[in-house]
Amino acid sequence: MKMIKNLVVFLVISSFFLVTHAYGVEKRLLFHAGLGQRAALNEIKAVFEKRHPDIKVNFSYKGSGYFIADITRSRQGDLFMPGEEFYLMQAVERGFLTDYEPKTDIPAYFVTVIITPKGNPKNIKKIEDFAKPGVRVGLGNPRSCAIGIWHQKTFKKAGIWDKVKENATLSAKCIPELGNATQHRAIDATIVWATTAVLYLRDVEIIPIEHKYRGIIRLPVGVLKFARYREEAQGLMDFILSEEGRAIFHKHAYAVNPVIPVDKQGFCLDGTTDQDMEYLVNSAKAVKDESFPVTKETVGDLAGEVLRQKKTTRAGD
Amino acid sequence: MDLRSRGGWWPALCIGITGIILAVYILLVTSNWIYLGLHDTLYFFSKSRMWERFWLTVWTATVSMSFSLLIGIPAGYALSRFRFPCRYLFASIIDLPIVVSPAVVGAFLFGITTRFPFDWISEYYGIYIGRNVYGVLLVQFTVTAAFCARLMKASFDMIPTRFEAVSHSLGASPSRTFFKVVLPMAKNGIIASMIVVWARAAAEWEGLMLFVGATEGKTDIMPFAIYLDWNGGMMGWVTSMSIVCILMAISAISAMKIIGGKSNVW
Amino acid sequence: MSGERHSRKIFNAFFYSFAGFLFLYSAYLFLSNLDQLFVTEAAVKTREITNWGEDREILNQFAGGFWKDPYFWKSLNLTLVITLITTLIATLLGIPTAYALSRYRIPGKSMVEIFFSSLMVMPGSVIGICLIVMFNYGPLWDLQNLLGFKFAHSIFPGMVIASLVLSFAFGMSAWKATFDSVNPRFEQVARSLGSNRWRAFKTITFPLAKSGIVTGIILAWTRAMAEFSAVLFFCGTFRELPASRFSDFTKFLQMDQADWVSVAVWAQVEFGNIEYGFALAFVLVFIGGISVYVMHRIGAKGYVW
Repeated sequence: MKMIKNLVVFLVISSFFLVTHAYGVEKRLLFHAGLGQRAALNEIKAVFEKRHPDIKVNFSYKGSGYFIADITRSRQGDLFMPGEEFYLMQAVERGFLTDYEPKTDIPAYFVTVIITPKGNPKNIKKIEDFAKPGVRVGLGNPRSCAIGIWHQKTFKKAGIWDKVKENATLSAKCIPELGNATQHRAIDATIVWATTAVLYLRDVEIIPIEHKYRGIIRLPVGVLKFARYREEAQGLMDFILSEEGRAIFHKHAYAVNPVIPVDKQGFCLDGTTDQDMEYLVNSAKAVKDESFPVTKETVGDLAGEVLRQKKTTRAGD
Repeated sequence: MDLRSRGGWWPALCIGITGIILAVYILLVTSNWIYLGLHDTLYFFSKSRMWERFWLTVWTATVSMSFSLLIGIPAGYALSRFRFPCRYLFASIIDLPIVVSPAVVGAFLFGITTRFPFDWISEYYGIYIGRNVYGVLLVQFTVTAAFCARLMKASFDMIPTRFEAVSHSLGASPSRTFFKVVLPMAKNGIIASMIVVWARAAAEWEGLMLFVGATEGKTDIMPFAIYLDWNGGMMGWVTSMSIVCILMAISAISAMKIIGGKSNVW
Repeated sequence: MSGERHSRKIFNAFFYSFAGFLFLYSAYLFLSNLDQLFVTEAAVKTREITNWGEDREILNQFAGGFWKDPYFWKSLNLTLVITLITTLIATLLGIPTAYALSRYRIPGKSMVEIFFSSLMVMPGSVIGICLIVMFNYGPLWDLQNLLGFKFAHSIFPGMVIASLVLSFAFGMSAWKATFDSVNPRFEQVARSLGSNRWRAFKTITFPLAKSGIVTGIILAWTRAMAEFSAVLFFCGTFRELPASRFSDFTKFLQMDQADWVSVAVWAQVEFGNIEYGFALAFVLVFIGGISVYVMHRIGAKGYVW
């Protein structure tokens, strides 16, 4: 009767809607990326889609350890941008990436910084302070997020890895979890990338790490072997590697200097990234303090982030 | 009812516990408002990003709801009226996707999208079946179809079989009985189930975590967007979207109580 | 006559087919993933590259060798202990609340019913966020500072609270429906014969509602076991934390360095140990299947979750 007829009509309309949705004329790229890159990649996607109206980019965010399993089982995907080169090398080993050039296919670098909750209650100033008793430290899980590898490396180099492990309160599966825990004062200190720290400017204190412990991490990007739309994927990758793409990354606190001298393990050797660190610390001050001037000299390219976060009293637009 | 009579400690205990529990739960859901403050709430509600997610949630939930209803009403009728051997085992297996955590269901759905018939569809049509909004619809359908069948079974159970027997004795064919006698009597139950199934589909997100990617505006329905923004440090978005989700759930259930009326299903 | 039987058969078959579709869909969903339990060579090679100190010998066996790994047993232990505590607290708090909501006139009762019903369709991430905001900001934060103990990211109050929120709501709905179905006249008769309220409840209402109460307890336990998002947001994982983080009591109960099983499924799959994750998932499905079968057998009147 009437209701059944309504239901059937509704169903027919929905399936019609679905089918037309399916036969859209756009090409859809599937981009596997780490969750930490979401902000920058959204902006890149917006610019790219405006230039190429017939290409749409879909992101698939996974834990770093899950990428290989997912790609192996599903054999789907056009582009791959894990949080650390290590995971990309695994894909290269398995033959998923065809042509990856370690020298040129790096759009940006991560830089490690220390973050603490607002007010820095335990007065953390340097890496060695992590071993102080009573400091609640958040560590990353190396299996699932790239920062875990760097926590181990940094603290082992400082020789305090065992003590820091004793202080560990939180084992994070993904790097944003560390940022959230710091924002909520669940931990007292942790090390994250600058790109994560820049998301929480209002609620954390940012402390740059000294050169010998500051890690520079290469963020790679590559086109997968079973890409469905190879030329379009290559086009997107070229855009990411171009000057414009790198400028977008720089706006989100990645380091995009073409050459950063690093030692064998990846710790930086000189002050190439010091300017970026200064911008970051100034941004944190600018969001918290109304009278701090927001100009190109003080915060550099991060002005967009600062202005965005100043709009709300509670963190995060 | 007189609350101060003999043996007054039991009612006092009950009411006291109820009051405390209510206060805690109300604090739970209003803490978002308190955290966010009025100015920020209005700011976030004025951004179009919020309403894009809202619309996405609404239309995907509606489409999954219609598919679930289509399958759930006949299945509920079958479960309610027919007696066949091992029907408990049958019903248990049907109920499995809604008993376990949706994260587990999501893991299994990830496995299923990499094999027949989904990879065949994927190859033939050139679409990634699990990675876009179809994945969302698939997950929502999986967790609500059995739920709908269970709700419909409960509401069909409320209708005595006498009416059908009388209708048969008067010469109506079984299908005519079903459409003209049973369904109108179950109308309240169907409407109530419809709204509840819609609300459940709009609240489904754990199944999306493992295999449906997160494309801004295309696949992140509201609860999933809360998780993603939580992982992006956008506390303001997180709390304001939580407020919208809470309001959606409460208004759906209120609508169910008002429209469904005496359905006795929930 | 036979035409009528024929049309009846077609009618029945039509309806059976829908129920059958659901059955086959559910069975296919679970059974077709059985081959995820088998270790592929690709997975073995990946684990050789990522040497994060796991026991590769165990992980490279069928289904990740889950029965040999102490982490699996500890996680199961943790989940069972916490869900039993949650169910106990939900029962002790829920039965009086359900009784009060069923029998007594409380102002705004319909609003309260709507509120608790809507908790059942609320997304888990919202519950998790509300818990975090409630405990880490505002007056409760100061209270926690006073006690020197933080609720978030902890096992004992944290996980219990996270699973209690929804388990309580589900159990209370079931118990309220049970008490609604028991005629209040019996209690009134008992009270007119001189017994007080508590005695009337204990000797009249409770035995009559017994099967409904048992159903509610099983329902609350099942829902607590199926909790995922609230535990994920509020507590996180505990596997890699050092042993000194856990109290002696936790170690005595064999719950240290373990995770909630639903969270462990997701975590293991995210780490890349697919076989292990799916083995945990199958264990959860098995436990859920048994509990739902028991609920059907004891005649739960279509209580929905």
